[in-house]
Amino acid sequence: MNAPRPRNTAKPTSKEKHATMPTADLALRDEYAAAVERLAGHTLDALRGAGGAVAPAPAFPGTGPVPRPVLAAARVLGPDVLAPQALGATGPDEQAVLLLAEAHRAFPPSAFPAPAPSTVPPADADQERAAGAALVTAWRDWGTAVLLARALGPAADALLPGATGENAGEDTDLGAPQPGHAPHPEPYAWQAWSVRMAQLSALALPGLDGPVHDAAREHSLALARGAVRSVLRCDQRVAARLTRWLAWLAADGRELPLEVEPMLERIRTVGDGSARTALELAVAERLLTGGVS
Amino acid sequence: MTDHRILATAQQLGSRAMSWLHTCHERGFGRLPDDVTIDLADPNNAYKPLAESALAASLVLRDGVTGPEDARIARELLDFGWSQLREGNLLYERLLRYPVMTDPLETYVHFARSGYRHPALEELLESLAKVRGIQAIEMMPNRRLALANARRVIGLRNQPDDWPELTARTWLGATPEPWAIDWLTGYHITHAVFHLTDWGAQPESMPEPMRDYVRNWLPVWVDTWLEVGQWDLVGELLVVDSCIGEPVTGAQGWEALAAIQREDGLIPRESAEPVSDDPEQAFRDHEHTAVVAVVAGTVTLSRALGGAAVPA
Repeated sequence: MNAPRPRNTAKPTSKEKHATMPTADLALRDEYAAAVERLAGHTLDALRGAGGAVAPAPAFPGTGPVPRPVLAAARVLGPDVLAPQALGATGPDEQAVLLLAEAHRAFPPSAFPAPAPSTVPPADADQERAAGAALVTAWRDWGTAVLLARALGPAADALLPGATGENAGEDTDLGAPQPGHAPHPEPYAWQAWSVRMAQLSALALPGLDGPVHDAAREHSLALARGAVRSVLRCDQRVAARLTRWLAWLAADGRELPLEVEPMLERIRTVGDGSARTALELAVAERLLTGGVS
Repeated sequence: MTDHRILATAQQLGSRAMSWLHTCHERGFGRLPDDVTIDLADPNNAYKPLAESALAASLVLRDGVTGPEDARIARELLDFGWSQLREGNLLYERLLRYPVMTDPLETYVHFARSGYRHPALEELLESLAKVRGIQAIEMMPNRRLALANARRVIGLRNQPDDWPELTARTWLGATPEPWAIDWLTGYHITHAVFHLTDWGAQPESMPEPMRDYVRNWLPVWVDTWLEVGQWDLVGELLVVDSCIGEPVTGAQGWEALAAIQREDGLIPRESAEPVSDDPEQAFRDHEHTAVVAVVAGTVTLSRALGGAAVPA
């Protein structure tokens, strides 16, 4: 008579992963994952005011080549590299801006073209997943582009075509073209939608607003359901990310169907030991205490 | 409006579960031992299955949304149960000897709902209702609601008039953090709703904040216990969905239960344990889930058709 535990049958076991992935790839994957954790840790320290920069030397241009895993880590964290300054925990952080800009040069957004809005439903689950993943990537890139454009001014144009040019602001006043439509929940599909919104949690920052944020405002119950579901499934990272969206909504002045503080407390207590999840929680806490503006 | 495909699934699920229950009873499963006395050592094993079948049958007859064959089976199940209880004498003698026990009342209500009455037992229940020591017995708040609803359904003169207070004492009454829940609490939730609404006959008996709360989180709970294959609890949550108004959980739960229902109508109570090859053991293990499926089917159809709940 214990609390329910998910079976996780959909996930390959580590044995299965090993069986299909060469050892060299595994080492590379571990190296990149460690780089993401390190950068998330630096960002967390900056956010908590523990001193230190998000991108300590030699992780930013000007002091030598930035290791590729660090650049990749910056692309993975995306807008969150600039979370401490967006949340007012630090002043403008030039090093972080330059790191993110360099990461965009190394892994340009054009490598992940934004999907065109489609009126035709996906043919199957795989196609739907692929379309969803592309949409998530495109929106995260949009968030990064907006923050970079704001930090770099006209200098961002070479890096982010269209960000500050003549066509900028057609869809938005934030200075970066938006990648089509926001992920939208189908009836009874709040589970899949909330997972997608969790992947977009880096957009839940002050200074970013757009269709994804409107979708969050419109479907706060679906977000809250997703958050509760994740806590019950012991999926701490998704729970933290969705709770961060709820904190963003609270900071935006929305009434929520769920108390955010006890959720945060619970996820923090259980935790998953990663800096990435801790960063999500810290952003959520900051949003709750500091507001969006 | 409930999707007609959900209603078709609900109807078939319930009807097949009913048929399996009936077949099991015809084979003699769930029969009380010939030498059974009022000193039932373990009422849960002795006659709980019998009472649960009576519950399902009584709701099928109450709601009147079934075909003639299922109605006939329901009546047979009640007749069988009533004769096993020696037309209520067993319950009467047990309560007379053990006035603190609640299972005689909780069992009798299903029969009384369908017209099987035992006047002496009812007089005894009236008399005991005035004993403060019995009223003050410590028990789960949702169980207290079960007793209150039983008195309401039987139509006893001494009925609790403090429904709001009884309701507020339940887990749901606190409208707590929806993630602070476990498997057993899931059953506390479902039973609070069953008794408060008298199995869907009175959706309006549910206080509005509580109803809003359940409608917000029921989809999450159904999803969570579907994922871990707790079919029995999923079935109870689907009953809840129909008890409180327009259902909110969609087709997912119904389709899952229909998919795991066997040809003979058995529904495994959970995915973790294999179904025993011994039919009598299988009956003991899975009869509760069949009862849940019958109730889910009949209450869902009844509510969708306008809630034709009438006293039997």
